[in-house]
Amino acid sequence: MNQTATVTGEFSRFMHFLFQEMKPRGPWLTPFNIISIPVILTGVVVLYFRFRYGLGAVTNLSQETAWGFWLGFDVVTGIALAGGAYVITFVVYVMKADKYHAIVRVTVLNGLLAYIFYGSALLFDLGRPWHAMNPYIGNSFGFSSVMFLICWHFMLYMVAEFIEFSPVIMEWAGWEKARKILKGITLGTVILGITLSMLHQSGLGALFLMAKPKIHPLWWSEFIPVLFFVSSIYAGLAMIIFEGTISHRVFKDLIDPEGHRSFDEIIFGLAKGAAITMFVYYFFKALLFIHDQQWELLNDGWGAWYLVEVLGFVLVPALMFAFGFRHRSLNIVKIAAVLALLGIVLNRLNISFITFNWYADVHYYPSWQEIVVTLMIIFTEIWIFRWFVTRMPVLSSGHQKS
Amino acid sequence: MDSFTYVNIFETKGLEYLLLLSFWVLFVYLVRYLSPPKKPKNTH
Repeated sequence: MNQTATVTGEFSRFMHFLFQEMKPRGPWLTPFNIISIPVILTGVVVLYFRFRYGLGAVTNLSQETAWGFWLGFDVVTGIALAGGAYVITFVVYVMKADKYHAIVRVTVLNGLLAYIFYGSALLFDLGRPWHAMNPYIGNSFGFSSVMFLICWHFMLYMVAEFIEFSPVIMEWAGWEKARKILKGITLGTVILGITLSMLHQSGLGALFLMAKPKIHPLWWSEFIPVLFFVSSIYAGLAMIIFEGTISHRVFKDLIDPEGHRSFDEIIFGLAKGAAITMFVYYFFKALLFIHDQQWELLNDGWGAWYLVEVLGFVLVPALMFAFGFRHRSLNIVKIAAVLALLGIVLNRLNISFITFNWYADVHYYPSWQEIVVTLMIIFTEIWIFRWFVTRMPVLSSGHQKS
Repeated sequence: MDSFTYVNIFETKGLEYLLLLSFWVLFVYLVRYLSPPKKPKNTH
């Protein structure tokens, strides 16, 4: 009887606490709120029309181009940019590089939210979104499909990332026993998460293997899965540098002094990792280019576009990362991170729809509704991220490492 | 566009070996470039 009363009391305490935490904090009329609120509301209206009247009502998709901006940017690009979570947890928990411990929580939160929002965005792009449950409930599992792997991996990885982040939630809620139990299973969850990430990052590339006749030969390769995996490593590192720089400025009052002191060293460490990974990726691309004898393909506009991507957004930022690290220049490293991110976006969009049906007379381009819904997803994610960061010990190291 | 082209995998082997050799040379150089300079040993 006593135990029931304790549980009931704790539950009502938590609900009261949660209600208090839900109340908005800080000024409402900030530039971000002024821009994001109308975009989110417009996106909701667009989604109403999408589910009421179908994909054709709001997108430029057709029978020839079934995958557009939502899949190309939200899912294929967004998941690559969320790669920082598995890279950092590998470095901290497996390689035992404690230097990066200060950014584990925020990076895992970013990864978790990215998977929830960008993975779920797949539902907007499915003609019959209710069929998304089929791979999970056993209605036509489709074992031989890459989509089957990706569906299960997304779901399992979200669970893994939630468990990795849950000690922070427990700390915030004041549930010490649960925090200790969840902290105890972190290493196992991290190893599972890294395995899942490696497979579904490359799995996203494998989705395009069957589209050989449709994707421009400069972008199609039987090694797309490996290229997707390697590029997700430096995409994640560049994203951490980019997001960390903004968070460091916006939430500076929430970061403890140790976090401020170690920030520069962490950024330089990430830059070094990104430089080496991009260097390897660049030579891998060059090797594939030579092996497939693609010199003649460089003679037209597509060739120039390919060189812009590979030289301008892979080789140049790789050299800038190395130069910035060597000469201790944060500004160069930050510019390199932005270029690397643009390179990833360009690469994924090129494969998803820009060079898709490259020989066709009429090309797909996203409608304004597709762009608004994508912005809606990004802004909503930032709102949720801000709520977590301003309530929970995400940017501070907490009372114990977790 | 559903045609397939025959690719002789041995035709480009020479260039591929050269590329790999240059990769390893440059990779060693890059790692050394990114390694912090060693502190001079104390002679006492």
